[in-house]
Amino acid sequence: MYNLKELALMDENGKRSDGRGIDELRSIKITVGVVKNADGSAYIEFGKNKIIVAVYGPREVHPKHMALPDRCVLRCRYHMSPFSTDTRKNPAPSRREVEISKVMRESLEPSLILSDYPRAVIDVFVEVLQADGGSRCAGINAASVALADAGINMRDLVSACAAGRLSDNIVLDINDLEDKEGDADMPVAYLPNLEQVTLLQLDGKLTTAQFSECLEKAINGCKSVYEIQKEALMKKYFGNEMELKEEA
Amino acid sequence: MQEIKRRYVIPGDKIIEGNYKPLMNVVKSGNYLISTRVGIAEAGKDGVKVIPLSGVYIPRVNDLVIGKIIDRSSLSWDVDINACFFAHLPAQDVFGRDFSPAKDDMGRQLSIGDLIIARIVSFDRTRDPMLTVQDKDLGKIPYGEFIKISPTRVPRLIGKRGSMIQTIEQATQTRVIIGQNGIVVVTGRDPDGLSLAAKAIKMVEEESHTTNLTQRVKTLLNVQDPVDPEQPESVNASPGTESSTQPQPQPQPQPNNESSTQPQPQPQPQPNNESSTQPQPQPQPQPQPNNESSTQPQPNNESSTQPQPNNESSTSNNSKSGSSSKEKHRNDSSEKSSNNDSDIDQKEKKQE
Repeated sequence: MYNLKELALMDENGKRSDGRGIDELRSIKITVGVVKNADGSAYIEFGKNKIIVAVYGPREVHPKHMALPDRCVLRCRYHMSPFSTDTRKNPAPSRREVEISKVMRESLEPSLILSDYPRAVIDVFVEVLQADGGSRCAGINAASVALADAGINMRDLVSACAAGRLSDNIVLDINDLEDKEGDADMPVAYLPNLEQVTLLQLDGKLTTAQFSECLEKAINGCKSVYEIQKEALMKKYFGNEMELKEEA
Repeated sequence: MQEIKRRYVIPGDKIIEGNYKPLMNVVKSGNYLISTRVGIAEAGKDGVKVIPLSGVYIPRVNDLVIGKIIDRSSLSWDVDINACFFAHLPAQDVFGRDFSPAKDDMGRQLSIGDLIIARIVSFDRTRDPMLTVQDKDLGKIPYGEFIKISPTRVPRLIGKRGSMIQTIEQATQTRVIIGQNGIVVVTGRDPDGLSLAAKAIKMVEEESHTTNLTQRVKTLLNVQDPVDPEQPESVNASPGTESSTQPQPQPQPQPNNESSTQPQPQPQPQPNNESSTQPQPQPQPQPQPNNESSTQPQPNNESSTQPQPNNESSTSNNSKSGSSSKEKHRNDSSEKSSNNDSDIDQKEKKQE
């Protein structure tokens, strides 16, 4: 027997509120190089999320006292546009935005070789045009692609995806409704080639077994996202050719 | 040792497994070499490297850059060279060793907003780049059209041994100064020529990764491939810069003009036929003071068929003072870029 809440989130056929299965990602579309003035940029549509990311740098640090002698400073700004939600959002940085800016920076930092650019700064601007849950993961995905587009030395791309719990079901890539009404939400950022986790947050309660399942699903989701990131970068720089054709 | 083919990579891609030396834009992770940039990976005898296709300009010693004076102190100017750091041009470099901040007025030589072409004399992790203008063709740029392109596109704009830029210069009757930092200044008297050159440069930047670019630039510039009977002769005579830098087997005449328009991959014993496709004696609407270098690329056949001791001597036959160092710079740059270009050139050739 399902209660009203469960019925709204998942039907008896195992379909979720937006018609997806439990292991299904929302549709993802990434476009690289959308901001001409930026050194690198990307636009991502992650379900109903629409996010644009611009990367500037490495460039001179202002104020100068922030410069570090041995490495580059990474600054990240996550911002939701006033029109990104159903009710107007105050454009001033909220507590949530400051926190997301911080976790995004910390999830991107391990992938960057910041020691290659001492005394410089890299600025990452993440602007959410439309929000639908999981915007930090979508922002990380776009930011990672934008950093690669800016030509900054990276050990790996960062792919992010959330998993969560709806009643007893562990589901992949939870949307806004599932985030609000569900029982747990776990965003994960991952370096797919190096197989390292750079972000792991958990909002809600999970048993040990559920946690393991949730993490595994999120990492699988990250690997799927990575393929889309890779394809977007390849398309921008090499067109539809995935292999370099050599003369015989 | 395991052989790898050149291939496209993005950050994090495993290029090769084994004990190889990581060179440019490659790091070692465990037993793998992984790429750190979007680009083309290749393994040579020395090690593995990735030729990047994006990125900002990172200063290097001896690079020729175009910068803008943004500030001045009592002893030096600060110059924006389109890099992560501002460069410094010491006043002594301009005024000489007897410079005195009390006596000499720095504003008379260079003021804020002026464009200069300079060479980087020193740069490392701990210090900002230091510039010099004490060389031929260096110093203030009095006038011209300012164009900014991606520094990674500079080798493509120069082309193999300066072929692309020579095409643009000759077709538009302009002089194009290219900084390694991605700043380009176009000078010339004809406004139409200036705008056409700017358009061509932007086209090269935007479509640098596409195939058959040289031909499309020529179409844009309305350059006709010569079909006169002298063509095979001019093809036979390879440009002096090439023969001087790389002694090659005697090139074969290319009766097919189409194929001769494309730059050939390095290993093939083909001449650089780019110059042969340049419009031969240009209709000169107006004599231009700055066009020495732009009109000179047609090499003297006699001199070009003989190996020259160095680039400068081969190019100085036709050029007046100043153009030789510019040519040298271009040749240096195109040498640096030859690997980067060769794959695109190969694609162009294949398409044809």
